[in-house]
Amino acid sequence: VATACHEADYGQLMRDYCLSQFQASMEALGPRLWCDWEETLGTYGELTNCTALLAERLACFWPNRLVDEFFVAVHRRYFGGCPLSGRALRDPPAAVLCPFIALPVVGALLAAALVVWRSKRGEGIV
Amino acid sequence: MKKTTHSCFLLIILLIRMVPSLTSTVNYTDPTLEPVVTENSVIRQKIIDSQFKCYERMNRAPPYRKKGLFCNRTWDGWLCWDDTPAGRITAQNCPDYFPDFDPTERASKYCDETGNWFRHPESNRTWSNYTLCNSFTSEKLKMAFILYYMAIVGHALSITSLLISLAIFFYFKSLSCQRITLHKNLFFSYVLNSMFTIAHLIAVVPNPGLVKRDPVSCKVLQFFHQYMLGCNYFWMLCEGIYLHTLIVVAVFAEEQRLHWYYLLGWGFPLVPASIHAVARAKYFNDNCWMSVDTHLLYIVHGPVMAALLVNFFFLLNIVRVLVTKLRDTHRAESNMYMKAVRATLILVPLLGIQFVIIPWRPENRLAGEIYDYIMHILMHYQGLLVATIFCFFNGEVQGALKRQWTQYKTQWGQRRREHCSTRSTSYTATSITEVPVYLYHHDSNNEQLNGKYIDDSELVALKSGETSA
Repeated sequence: VATACHEADYGQLMRDYCLSQFQASMEALGPRLWCDWEETLGTYGELTNCTALLAERLACFWPNRLVDEFFVAVHRRYFGGCPLSGRALRDPPAAVLCPFIALPVVGALLAAALVVWRSKRGEGIV
Repeated sequence: MKKTTHSCFLLIILLIRMVPSLTSTVNYTDPTLEPVVTENSVIRQKIIDSQFKCYERMNRAPPYRKKGLFCNRTWDGWLCWDDTPAGRITAQNCPDYFPDFDPTERASKYCDETGNWFRHPESNRTWSNYTLCNSFTSEKLKMAFILYYMAIVGHALSITSLLISLAIFFYFKSLSCQRITLHKNLFFSYVLNSMFTIAHLIAVVPNPGLVKRDPVSCKVLQFFHQYMLGCNYFWMLCEGIYLHTLIVVAVFAEEQRLHWYYLLGWGFPLVPASIHAVARAKYFNDNCWMSVDTHLLYIVHGPVMAALLVNFFFLLNIVRVLVTKLRDTHRAESNMYMKAVRATLILVPLLGIQFVIIPWRPENRLAGEIYDYIMHILMHYQGLLVATIFCFFNGEVQGALKRQWTQYKTQWGQRRREHCSTRSTSYTATSITEVPVYLYHHDSNNEQLNGKYIDDSELVALKSGETSA
């Protein structure tokens, strides 16, 4: 049974139903904790579920362009001020990484030079 | 996920994903057909996490600036896709949500000429191609297991051969000299390295529960693992420096102070290992520090590569000196020195080559498999190689063993025939003609050799191969 997906209805229902629930939870949590992923994880998950179930009911594919726009708007409203770092594991910036790598390499070369120099001047040289 | 440069560990990571749930192969080629609420909450958590990161990125990334049609950035349910120009296929590494998804394979998405994402012809829904992610899984799993067991066997064999070599070096006091002392330390560091690697392979790698709990002990294990890796290569460097000082700098001088070598071999590797631990804890604190997807590993591998390079140049210099300067004046000695240097000269490139060719894993499946096998052999059978080249193939060691064997045989024969007087003739000369004595010279305090004392005059006699019956 292929009833086409009513995109306008879908968008409207998402805002009326799913978003309102999400808004209520987030208000209850308080703006201070919005950037705390542990706290917001559950609510965010429920929002996602809501949009997915709604899509199923309306015979829309999930996710889709409307879902993308919807979530981008949610992120802009609630998570726009959160620092991106801290959640994804990534290397430090090059300015930090390079000294970390350069220091042991230079140290190794210096240590080798030191041993060569000391063994040259050691006892037993004929 | 960047393409990693350590395929050996890639396969081990593959193993982590595969081992716990071999029975549940899932047929997920189209995420949007499945409801978001899967039974497995861990998987769902990962997906929601990725979704959050994706929308964050979509929100913050600048809008598409280039000219022409393009497909809008999107979240397809599993992976994040950026703005893509029309008519282009974009690809990224498969996600690691499911046990049978291989994160080294690529998932792709096609943006057609009209600026819309490709729709699957049957269902007419926007579709990304995840078919490569789980298509070769069973073969890869088999190969990962083979490589895993190969690694464990390699390290076990290495430990055995190294312990035998150490026993030989400690038992035969006639062999002991400064170079052998350096060998003993090198072997010891290899034994410890293999032990830590086996502990890691058996306790941590097949144990995702432990990795998830992320106790401090597994990070400490990694720290010691990196430290022992450094020790291995820095002891090889010590060998090279010793030979260089002996042959090039202070020609044929005998006694060197070994303190500095101990410091370089055991002491210095603490520095990169500690810096790596601090940097990892601060910037890339993943579970058990298992990820090889970080440039922080170069904190340990950088000095190792530097040590290998320096070692290689020292050895080339030694060869140059032996060939040019000593050829005319001390032809016999230079040949003998060549034989001594030969072992180290073979080993250093062999040990170093894994660092050189590691970034170039061939794309072809068969070539890639061969590459994996060769890399695994080079990496995990090193201890066996070192023990063989430095000990078992060593003429001096072989001579000592033969001597001991003949002695046992004669003693056994004596005991049978109950002869007492033939005891003094049981000692036979060694065949040290290959290498000058002062490369393997006896320690300054006279050593007892089968009940007989040896002084310097006899050393000279031994050198020419005469027996002292």
